[in-house]
Amino acid sequence: MAGELQSGMQCAEVEALLAEALDGALHGATLAAFEAHQQGCATCRTMVEEARAGMSLLSALEEAEPPRNLVHNILAQTIGALPSEHTVVKPRGEGWLARLKGRLTPMFAGVATPRFAMSFGMAFFSITMLLGIAGFRFADLRHWDLSSKGIQKAYYNTEARVMRYYENMRLVYEIESRVRDLRRAATPDNTQGSQPQQQQQEAPATNPNPKNPPKSELRQQHQGNHPSNSRDMGGPELASFPAVTLAANPQARQPSAPMYFDGRSVRRTA
Amino acid sequence: MDDNQAVNALVRRCVSGDAAAWQDIVQQYHRRIYNICYRFSGSSEDASDLTQEVFIKMYRTLSTFDTTRASFMTWVTTVTRNLLVDHFRKGKYDRITDSLDATPGNQEDGLTIAEQLEDRRAGPEARVRSQETQRLVHEGLRRLSPELREAVILRDLQDLDYKDIAKVLNVPEGTVKSRINRGRTELARLLQRTYKQVG
Repeated sequence: MAGELQSGMQCAEVEALLAEALDGALHGATLAAFEAHQQGCATCRTMVEEARAGMSLLSALEEAEPPRNLVHNILAQTIGALPSEHTVVKPRGEGWLARLKGRLTPMFAGVATPRFAMSFGMAFFSITMLLGIAGFRFADLRHWDLSSKGIQKAYYNTEARVMRYYENMRLVYEIESRVRDLRRAATPDNTQGSQPQQQQQEAPATNPNPKNPPKSELRQQHQGNHPSNSRDMGGPELASFPAVTLAANPQARQPSAPMYFDGRSVRRTA
Repeated sequence: MDDNQAVNALVRRCVSGDAAAWQDIVQQYHRRIYNICYRFSGSSEDASDLTQEVFIKMYRTLSTFDTTRASFMTWVTTVTRNLLVDHFRKGKYDRITDSLDATPGNQEDGLTIAEQLEDRRAGPEARVRSQETQRLVHEGLRRLSPELREAVILRDLQDLDYKDIAKVLNVPEGTVKSRINRGRTELARLLQRTYKQVG
């Protein structure tokens, strides 16, 4: 019964001394009173037995084995990830290489893993392969003049090349623009003057149906329109220069044969 | 140089930036901290995560360790215990401690734990040798309340003395002893009931 006095010791005292009694730390009269109380108090006796049993069970538990990668993970998360929160005071006499290593190691600890190394390797391989396909050779780097004068010279050369390219392109576009203007200027006279007159003169003699001329007439008309094969092959640009064409062809100087421009060739009317 | 001085020197080296010293500390204490976490949480995965968190916390606060106030072991155990309590308060681990007067399954005509204890078959020394008993003791620990669980873990599994446990738990030594007694008693009763149910 709780609180009952048995052999000079109360139940509360037994409970207070229980831990030390199980440790074997009680001696002399205290131990004798503790033992005597248990003999007369069933509640305290049961309590002591249960506590002893529980202690035996716990003490017999084996130590659990930590996972193998636990230490590695701890070091990776502490030394690798949290360097700034640790008040680090470098000891004297430490070399600059060690200090640099100590500073860089935590910085790159996050990427210093096999996965990132594999990614970097693949990226390097891809870039190298692309440069090889593009014709770049690392051996050519030896011939590069990386001095300030060399870089300046390369800059001016590049600039001159770009300017030359620009000027050439401008000339080409200007010529094309001129040709286009000339063609546009020659086209209205041809469409309004020559074609209707020609159709009116040729159609009654050869073909009663002006809308469907026979193929032989069309062929002759085609040859008449293009007397020179070389001119035909020359394209529209050469035909668009009337002064040059007339000067090169003596027959074109006949006064009874006025010239018309249709944009592609010189047509002589009958 | 005794162990305490050696550990203190190791800590000083670590605070001054010696990575090798920190590695030594991790090597020396990871097993102990893991076992505290494992016995408290009951799960090896949780114990692994908690152990890493403990060392991260230690790494952050290592410079605050005062050699004049407590030993490094007590400090490490305090850090571990505080982190475990924080996790427990977040509801990660359940408190499953049966009342001593409760009956299994809340059956009105069932025997109480105290009554079942009278029917004992074999001694606990013989039972604990088997792996099954080890598992049952481990499960029984999880069913203790956190206050009782941490007290018996620190005393019976980590062999800390009452004074250090009182420092770690921040309670008087009398409270520590009372919790240890109650934890041992409840564990024995829980296992006794389990054996009866299984048998």
